[in-house]
Amino acid sequence: MKKSGTHNGIVTDHALRAPSGPAADSNELPREAGVALLLVVIATGAALALRPHVAATNLAMVYLLSVVATALRCSREISVAASFVSVAAFDFFCVPPYLTFRVSHYEYVITFAVMLVVALVISTQTTRIRTQAMAASGREARTDTLYRLARRLAGENHVFEMARAASTFAEEVLPCQVVIFLPDAGKINFSRRSADLLPVPRAEESLAQTVFETGDKAGLGIWPFKHASALYLPLRGSRQVVGVLAAIPKSAAHLDREQVRLLELFANQTAIAMERTSSHHAAEEARVQMQTEAMRSSLLSAVSHDLRTPLASITGAATTLRSQGERISPETRNELLDSIADEAERLGRLVANLLDITRLESGVELRCDGYPLEEIVGSVLQRMERQLRNRPVETRLPENLPLVYVDDVLTGQLLVNLLENADKYTPEGTPIELEAEATEDAVVLEIRDRGPGFAEGDERRIFEKFYRRNAKGVRGVGLGLPICRAIVEAHRGRIEAFNRAGGGAVFRIHLPLANQS
Amino acid sequence: MKGLILIIEDDPAIRRFLRATLAAEDYQYYESVTATDGLAQINLRRPDLLLLDLGLPDRDGLEVIRQLRETSRMPIVVLSARGQEKDKIAALDLGADDYIEKPFAVGELLARIRAALRRAVGTAQPGTIFRFGRVELDLDSRVVRVDGEDVHLTPHEYKLLQALITHSGKVLTHRQLLNEVWGPNQVDQAQYLRVYIAQLRRKLEVDPARPKHLQTEPGVGYRLVVDT
Repeated sequence: MKKSGTHNGIVTDHALRAPSGPAADSNELPREAGVALLLVVIATGAALALRPHVAATNLAMVYLLSVVATALRCSREISVAASFVSVAAFDFFCVPPYLTFRVSHYEYVITFAVMLVVALVISTQTTRIRTQAMAASGREARTDTLYRLARRLAGENHVFEMARAASTFAEEVLPCQVVIFLPDAGKINFSRRSADLLPVPRAEESLAQTVFETGDKAGLGIWPFKHASALYLPLRGSRQVVGVLAAIPKSAAHLDREQVRLLELFANQTAIAMERTSSHHAAEEARVQMQTEAMRSSLLSAVSHDLRTPLASITGAATTLRSQGERISPETRNELLDSIADEAERLGRLVANLLDITRLESGVELRCDGYPLEEIVGSVLQRMERQLRNRPVETRLPENLPLVYVDDVLTGQLLVNLLENADKYTPEGTPIELEAEATEDAVVLEIRDRGPGFAEGDERRIFEKFYRRNAKGVRGVGLGLPICRAIVEAHRGRIEAFNRAGGGAVFRIHLPLANQS
Repeated sequence: MKGLILIIEDDPAIRRFLRATLAAEDYQYYESVTATDGLAQINLRRPDLLLLDLGLPDRDGLEVIRQLRETSRMPIVVLSARGQEKDKIAALDLGADDYIEKPFAVGELLARIRAALRRAVGTAQPGTIFRFGRVELDLDSRVVRVDGEDVHLTPHEYKLLQALITHSGKVLTHRQLLNEVWGPNQVDQAQYLRVYIAQLRRKLEVDPARPKHLQTEPGVGYRLVVDT
């Protein structure tokens, strides 16, 4: 039993290479014949030993046993032959008179007939069951192989990487070199291939192109190009052929039918996976495109208004000064000059914001290091001194606050935007508080005001681009807070906004800690 | 006549308003549009100060600083675009005295020019008392007083303060300060420097979170501001 178990194991391993049943390989015949003969000899030995003690008809059972053993190991033809040889051996050795084929009693003819029929049935049935078992385990192995291929393909996002993965995989499983060619503008191009080196002659490009166009395999072993260096199989997806797979056998021998079938399965599976990823990509691109379009149009409408308004005042004031310079009173003159300077400054801020958000969204590289939060807050307050001159700004930063791991310029920008926001939306003179505390894995900074707070739902929407709160007399493009969010997210931090107990707004930021060694 | 200033700037609109400003302030000036011509003008006219734009058509402005610093200590004020900290640091490390971000207000530019010219004339001498805000520093005895009371500084804190005083009013990059205080092997340890600056601020500033004197130049370095 153990022996046949081992044997089955070998069958599983080789199922992919020679799974078409026990009779497939003609080199096995002499070996199997030898095995069968040996089993008949053993049965004969056993029968001779038992002959003095049991009836001749029971000795037939010993031979039947050997037929079963033969059928388990050998092809159907050999088993059938073994059945005849067993009956003959039984007659020769076990039926008196011994050592001749003559029989003493005619009733033995019945024994022979029954024995032959039983032996034939046993050998035929046994070999058939075995073939089925082998086919099943071959199928199982194939399913397993395809499943492994599917898993490998699932790990790749690009058609080209998939081609690479699939050809590497096929090479691991089959005794051949595999390369996949992808089309370039509807034509198979040997330069777009999965392998680094081109294992087939360039002249076969047209053959691959034919396979790509017709969707039928061609090349090695198939008339009329049976002497080509490789077998070309189409990568047939659900809608079209997406590429061509070339298989070059490692030994001189052609691939057998089963191997070709397996390659075809590989090709189909790869094609379908490729098709899926490219359609996925197309859908994703369309989505991004749409979003970009929507963003662009809202950007354009917001920006064109916000750019034009200050430009209009600047142009107006400047041309007034130029054409009527002499006739304008000194006060009006100063007003016009002030408005030119202020509006230009506003324009500058807007442009800076636009540049910032573009830079942040295109994935700016952070230059992070350990900073005392105090230093960043300090430089921001210094920068905003003029702007916040009419406001009490209270800072409460504990002395032992750990260093934060941030990009100082961007974090400074974040605080500037939050303070500007507080300044814009709260009545002049009301206080702004800045307080920080350390938690286990972050420094939490809160910026609080005593303004009107948020309308319901605004706590989230304010971080969306171009969203503007309903507030009288407030000018802005709605980019300040989205920039804040982008900066915080680039730091893998968190920002949230909520209404303050007793009135006002709170912005809370979590900043990552520096590694303090 | 207050001094001769050379402008190397390729944008005509900026040159025009620089011209107007400098003339109104009684400075003499010359203009160059390219780096090559600028360097030639420097050799020819020996200006007292250089206003240098970094984005020049023929050569990198940084190259002008490098070449100039081989032979001259003439003050250089760099006109830089916003957000280009890397260029500012490079310019300062190469020996530029100061920078100003475009767009800038005229008043600020004039203040930078005045400060750079003043520094070129004379720096703090040993044996004198140096004062800023409520701080008093005896450069001989190394005694530091805040509001008349002695304050203890660690040797590194003192060296740091001394470096800032020596170049008071000028931006010093992290690298320059680290090199001066801790030596050339520590120039990458900016985090160190920040912790020491924070300690100095606690000892010398009224409100360390809103420093009046030990000011941060974000992404670039520090500057000691004496007259506020």
